[in-house]
Amino acid sequence: MNLPTNTFKIVLLLFSVLFIGSCSNDHTLGNLDATVFVRHKDADMPAYIRGNGTEKVFLITLHGGPGGAGLGFQGNAFDQIEDNYGVVYFDQRGSGMSQGSYSEDDVTIDLMAEDVLALVKVLKRVYGDDSRFFLLGNSWGGALGPATLLKDQDEFLGWINVDGSHSPKDLYFEYIRNFERVAATQIELGNSVRFWESVFDELDRVDRNRVTLDDFNTLNRLAFDAEEYLTDDGFIKKVENGGISVSDYNLLTFVWNLLKIQSILDDDFIGKLSFTEALSEITIPSLVLWGRYDMVVPEFYAQEAFENLGSVNKRMVIFEQSGHSPMFSESNQFAEEVLRFMDENK
Amino acid sequence: MRHKQLAILFFIFQFALFSQDQEKSKTQIQKTSLSENFWDRTEFKVGFVGTVFWSNGLSIGGEYLWKENEKTKIRRGKERTNTHQFLFNGNLGFVTNFSTKTDTGAYTNFGLTWRRTNKQGIQFSIELNPLGYYRSFLPETYEVNGDSVDKVFLPGRGYYAPSLSVGIGRKRKGKVRSANYFNINYTMRTPYNAGALPTFSFQYGFRFNFKNKKR
Repeated sequence: MNLPTNTFKIVLLLFSVLFIGSCSNDHTLGNLDATVFVRHKDADMPAYIRGNGTEKVFLITLHGGPGGAGLGFQGNAFDQIEDNYGVVYFDQRGSGMSQGSYSEDDVTIDLMAEDVLALVKVLKRVYGDDSRFFLLGNSWGGALGPATLLKDQDEFLGWINVDGSHSPKDLYFEYIRNFERVAATQIELGNSVRFWESVFDELDRVDRNRVTLDDFNTLNRLAFDAEEYLTDDGFIKKVENGGISVSDYNLLTFVWNLLKIQSILDDDFIGKLSFTEALSEITIPSLVLWGRYDMVVPEFYAQEAFENLGSVNKRMVIFEQSGHSPMFSESNQFAEEVLRFMDENK
Repeated sequence: MRHKQLAILFFIFQFALFSQDQEKSKTQIQKTSLSENFWDRTEFKVGFVGTVFWSNGLSIGGEYLWKENEKTKIRRGKERTNTHQFLFNGNLGFVTNFSTKTDTGAYTNFGLTWRRTNKQGIQFSIELNPLGYYRSFLPETYEVNGDSVDKVFLPGRGYYAPSLSVGIGRKRKGKVRSANYFNINYTMRTPYNAGALPTFSFQYGFRFNFKNKKR
């Protein structure tokens, strides 16, 4: 009876295949497909490096959240960017598939900005000191981006702010103003009237003078709901494709990380953190990309970011049929703007 | 309010007490005399472990039968005999996420299994492994300290990883491949980032032994 012996052989073979399969990386510059971890201050954070790195020009992306997923940018727009440049999708500390061992007190936006600079050092080590970088941040990444650039902007050729939250300090009050404005317009147009009336009911329930985390979260959720209604009523273009594929992230790990990092960071930045005044210190070329119907970080911040950035070379583009994620709703135009900016400033 | 809660608790408790007595009167427990031979009391297992979508891997393990008894109950006029076993249990496994290579790791855990087998060979088991260790294996990793960047040899992290599995199976009497099993497993990894990460996985495989080998 050979069953146990054969079983051992098969098991050994399968273990070997699994181990080898789990370690391979492709650093061929013309067709990058590698996952590299950055170990920094007790955290191991994955950087997913994709695209065309022949010019050694890389676009480093900072996801939203906090607690979002680096690969969440994937889709038609970033496929086009990957055709021309290397794209680095980065899971920030405590997000996505990052792991480590540290205390809650150790997690700060300051440390997370240092993590991004550590990523740059690793990329230079892997692809050479002649590598050049652009930084792109969406939503929460629009706060982490300035935090990083204010530490060291010399490492970057340009900053791309996509519906970024550079001032969570007063976002709550702008939510209230923006909801009132948009809800009044939509009711006047006769669009999704019941929903927009319920928005006014919700605004009556929240504290209009003081920011609380609960009220902030209520309005933040309402903002995402509002974008869905604006999509249904034809103001925001339906998402073409994109996002994370089911095998990219362990859902449970992702959700647990998301809830954990938000529970740590939300108290520190909502109603408190603002880079508005410090934006003038950012002098590298900058591109501000915003959705006209962004309810999560309203359009007001596009103008504020653009006016306050210290860059001489800066440009703002408003996507007329987009909300918080123009890279999905108007992906071709989005890719065009990003590629033009990178081509001009590389 | 407090008195009301106590009254409800007492009400439920008297039924529990009553039903326990009823069970005792109908249940006979007979301890099985076990062979002294190590191989007769040992089985091995091999199977798939993972979440299908995010991680897939292999698990191997062994079980040593510690205690066994047969419980005979009269239920609805019929006699039912179930075998209850306590087994020492050890596992070794390896899982990976082929898509992004970010969820690769090996684990080992040890503990105790309670298993009930009915006359048809259907098994139900609970496996508690308080001694567990998970070692993640990361792909290419670089450590940054100030301006120095160093490649890490065998990168990964170790976690204390106790686990609990609940599963069903089917016994194949007198066969080398002695049973199939399907478990749902909960494992905690700690310290993970700033807390303890809960993970779930499936285990599907078979057990085999040497005692039923034809001589």
